[in-house]
Amino acid sequence: MTGTPAPGTIIETRGLDLWYGPCQALKEITILIPANRVTALIGPSGCGKSTLLRCFNRMNDLVPDCRVAGLALYHGADINAPGYDVVELRKRVGMVFQKPNPFPKSIYENVAYGPRIHGERDRATLDAVVERSLRSAALWDEVEDRLQEPALGLSGGQQQRLCIARTLAVEPDVILMDEPCSALDPIATAKIENLIDDLKKRYTVIIVTHNMQQAARVSEFTGFMYLGELVEYGETLQVFERPAERLTENYITGRFG
Amino acid sequence: MQSHRSTLFLPGLAAVVIGALLVAGCTGTGETATPAPTGPPGGPAGRLSVTGSTTVLPVAQALAERYMDLNSGADIQVSGGGSSVGIAAVGEKTAEIGMASRGLKDAETAKYAALEPVAIARDGIAVIVHPSNAVAHLTLDQVREIYAGNVTNWKDVGGQDRQIVAIGRDSASGTREFFTEKVMGTTSTTATMLEKNSNGAIQSSVAPNPGAIGYVGLGYLDATVRAVPLQVDGTAVEPSIETVADGRYPVARELYFVTSGGATGLAQEFIAFALSGEGQQIVEKEGFIPVAA
Amino acid sequence: MHPTSTARLPAPARAGRSHLEEHAIRALWLACALVAVLAVGFILAFLVVYGLPAFAEIGVLEVLLGDSWSPTATPPAFGILPLAVGTLLVTLGAMLFAVPLSVATAIYLGELAPPRVRNLVRPAIELLAGIPSVVFGFFGLIVLVEWLRVSFAVPSGESVLAGSLLLGVMTLPTIISVSEDAISSVPREFREGSLALGATRWQTIRRVVVPSALPGVTAAIILGMGRAIGETMAVMMVTGNAAVIPSPITDVLSPVRTLTGTLGIEMGEVAIGSLHYHALFAVATVLLVITLAVNLGASAILRRLNASATGRGSPSRLAAVLGRPRAGMAVPVLAAVLAAAVAHSVGGLLPALAVFAAGLLLLAAVPRLSRNQAEKAAFLLLYLAVAAVVAILAIILLDIVSKGLPALSWEFLTGSPRDLGRAGGIFPAIVGTLCLVAGAIALALPLGVGAAIHLAEYRRENRLTRLIRSGVDLLNGTPSIVFGLFGFTFFVLYLEFGVSMLAGQVTLGLMVLPTIIRTTEEALRQVPQGLREGSLALGATQWQTVRRVVLPPAAPGILTGTILSVGRAAGETAPILFTAAVFSQRHLPSSLLDPVMALPYHLFVLATNVPGAQQNTYGTALVLILLVGAVYAVTIAVRARYRAAGGAPG
Repeated sequence: MTGTPAPGTIIETRGLDLWYGPCQALKEITILIPANRVTALIGPSGCGKSTLLRCFNRMNDLVPDCRVAGLALYHGADINAPGYDVVELRKRVGMVFQKPNPFPKSIYENVAYGPRIHGERDRATLDAVVERSLRSAALWDEVEDRLQEPALGLSGGQQQRLCIARTLAVEPDVILMDEPCSALDPIATAKIENLIDDLKKRYTVIIVTHNMQQAARVSEFTGFMYLGELVEYGETLQVFERPAERLTENYITGRFG
Repeated sequence: MQSHRSTLFLPGLAAVVIGALLVAGCTGTGETATPAPTGPPGGPAGRLSVTGSTTVLPVAQALAERYMDLNSGADIQVSGGGSSVGIAAVGEKTAEIGMASRGLKDAETAKYAALEPVAIARDGIAVIVHPSNAVAHLTLDQVREIYAGNVTNWKDVGGQDRQIVAIGRDSASGTREFFTEKVMGTTSTTATMLEKNSNGAIQSSVAPNPGAIGYVGLGYLDATVRAVPLQVDGTAVEPSIETVADGRYPVARELYFVTSGGATGLAQEFIAFALSGEGQQIVEKEGFIPVAA
Repeated sequence: MHPTSTARLPAPARAGRSHLEEHAIRALWLACALVAVLAVGFILAFLVVYGLPAFAEIGVLEVLLGDSWSPTATPPAFGILPLAVGTLLVTLGAMLFAVPLSVATAIYLGELAPPRVRNLVRPAIELLAGIPSVVFGFFGLIVLVEWLRVSFAVPSGESVLAGSLLLGVMTLPTIISVSEDAISSVPREFREGSLALGATRWQTIRRVVVPSALPGVTAAIILGMGRAIGETMAVMMVTGNAAVIPSPITDVLSPVRTLTGTLGIEMGEVAIGSLHYHALFAVATVLLVITLAVNLGASAILRRLNASATGRGSPSRLAAVLGRPRAGMAVPVLAAVLAAAVAHSVGGLLPALAVFAAGLLLLAAVPRLSRNQAEKAAFLLLYLAVAAVVAILAIILLDIVSKGLPALSWEFLTGSPRDLGRAGGIFPAIVGTLCLVAGAIALALPLGVGAAIHLAEYRRENRLTRLIRSGVDLLNGTPSIVFGLFGFTFFVLYLEFGVSMLAGQVTLGLMVLPTIIRTTEEALRQVPQGLREGSLALGATQWQTVRRVVLPPAAPGILTGTILSVGRAAGETAPILFTAAVFSQRHLPSSLLDPVMALPYHLFVLATNVPGAQQNTYGTALVLILLVGAVYAVTIAVRARYRAAGGAPG
């Protein structure tokens, strides 16, 4: 029931199951994520969309009692295989969280954090990376003259864009976004959405959202999840206008959710 | 704001640790903190650790202070803890001299065969009461009955109508053991006796309490308590240096410096000083009875 | 259409060196955590092995249930029962005194106090926690015992009551602080919800706030109880140490002897290797088992309370009982009966009847009060409790400051003691205390922080983690005198450190280790999980995340724990009693194997051994309080700064 979208696949799962203790949160998920596209995962609360997203960079490792079965592939390699370098995986597959989570450091240090932990020491290079990342995140103009101020002094929307800049600074090829706008006002949301549009030229973006309009606006592919299953997956236009499944249609038309 | 504080704080934490280490290092620089002990050439120098009985502590401390005045190269550390701590410390070679207010026990000589006690003073144990207590004198039998819990009111031994509060040393102390041996015999001490861990503690508990009775070494007698004369063969004998020295006062014992395998070096010098004329004068000044006299 | 990115970046392979480093660091923290467990295991094994000969020779039942402790009688008797009863009586009395006062004060501080009062009273009460127990003991010996003797017209004031009152005062700050934390962390929505339904403030406090805070308050009480059971110096100085079971058992003016007091008073005098010596280890074992039982019982109660509060798990019978209004009446009725019994044994039948009648009248009157009257009455009681707590603090501090100030002089602070400490100064004691504390912290801080990092950051909830956690809990509940006993037998005698600074530092270090582990773990847990995820999602390794993202915001919390440990180590007497301290010293120690003078020990000896040194005793007490008080003041200031900044936890 899940199609393979046209472009080259960068992330793929085959029959992925996930349990939190005794509760199965993901059931037999098979999905192919195309490179350099924006893919949206939608569905009601608790459907497993964030859990699936967190499988792509193995963030679920941090959850006690979490167990995974089935395959999750990145560039064709099984990321759950023993000995797989999860640190390297997370460097390549960046993540932006639902709640902006800048470190309690300065704006500059937040962005420079990634390059620094990956061994970059040269100040000039760091300066350049910080500026480039902040520009890419459309934040540079707002913070240019206060880079040394604490990041926690920024507004929520700015903090979220800072987190995006922070992610960009390590030059990932995939960016996972877990409801990045849910804590933001409409203006800040619009800015992030524009940003996503820019980002897809260079990055693969996977975004989880409960906001269907947002999914429709920013994504090229959409997966609809319900109760831990991937109900429907295809091109956004098709999913929203001609859903193949009755469940999807009911959700999209607002009959539940 | 926060980020600045946080970045300040890791170094801060490090500073605390380093500071701690530096202060710990004060042990190494201790000798520069006070003038290093430098004795006259050939004079006794070095460190000497004296530990044990709290009864012997005052006289040992006084001897040490005088000895260090005479020999600036010597550093004598006196600590309490109890006769057994002193004996064990010498046995385990963690101190050079142990102070004991009792002779060695079988268990101790069995464990540390090389122990040698040297008597440095005699001590009388005075029975003390509140200064206002009018009881004229007590016989040893009366004292025993009081500590056995059979006599509980002062009026039964010739005093006011007031309940007796018996205060004694803890069961392991040399003083208690000696008191048991000389006074109690095989009679067991009442369980309601208040137990104190030192002579000084007994003295300060008796001082404010009109009903109290206690026993301390002569060195702990002062104006805050009254020593009750003990009646021996019909005559009341005050506890004093004279009565102990001439053997009239019935409750007296020897106090010891204990060494292991014979004293050498500074320990030997210090014991010799304690037994010298000047040392025995100090012994007498602290309220004990000279042995060398 | 195949994207180019696939070719650009090959799949990540196994990484070599950095992984090795991660593993090494992980193993290091695990090792730190294991030290706590090993220490506990070692101490336990030591006590049991050394106590075994006593049990074997005398008989287990004879030791545990024998009603006479008389080691030097012929034949000697080694019955621990009177000592255990003494410990329980004094602890119970302390709780009866401290719990109502401190819970009332906590409610006042959390719910009623104007911010200005709260900001003044709270640090003051925490300062009370910093007063070393030997200072309390000294105060109790000089002031409290004498006051009891005169006001109750009894032969001696050294009694259960004296011990209970003193221990009660000593546990006040612990119970108040922890309860207040619990009460303050009840969500505001609960209060608003209740008030919005037309409840009075008192009704809201009684029916919503206190029940919600119950697990925390219970934890506070148990923490205080643990402190009371393990306290040595203060109890030893005021309970009279007569190894009797009071008769009747409610006779609070009878002297008693506690388990801890027995160790403190007899350990120094006992012939090493004798039966008596082994019997003392049996006493220590019993003491440790009692504290262990209290801690285990406590965590069981807390689990149930927490489970019932969150609605998870089986409904707790205890919470159900506490929640039932009729059962609520049982507590005051029981209290009235108890008070009457005590009044009976102290004053006779008439006062007993009067107390009981007054209690019943009060109980009868309470339900008849209108809501507003009830609120007024309740608040009045709260105010009285707070006033009492503040007055107690003021009396103790005023007494010591007013009598200690005249002793303070340049010579006193910089000179060596002379004439048994009656003259001269306490400089070597000040230096000695600083050295002991510095050594203890230098040992405990890296170990403790490492163990906490393991528990908070690298934990996998498995059997080992649970073992480590119970080890830390057990170490935390171990009475300080037991550390002293262990330090003496193991470091001083067995390892042949001798009575030395090193032995004292290691003993004190072990003692403060659990405090550092707990406060550090707490501080680490307060760092939002989002920060860790943010860092890990950037491809940071776990150690990079911990070092750069988690530790910096946790630093103030760690610092607070460290400073608290400094205060505790500086004020403790029991652990250094047999391990490190000498009474007099003219020169400063020149190596770690030299013994040192220490302020609390010096104070203890002056107060109990040296008649006629009262002025210098008060002076030493004041210096000790100032030193520890300064340490606590720094802690409070640090925390206030971070709270005000709304910043990192602390």
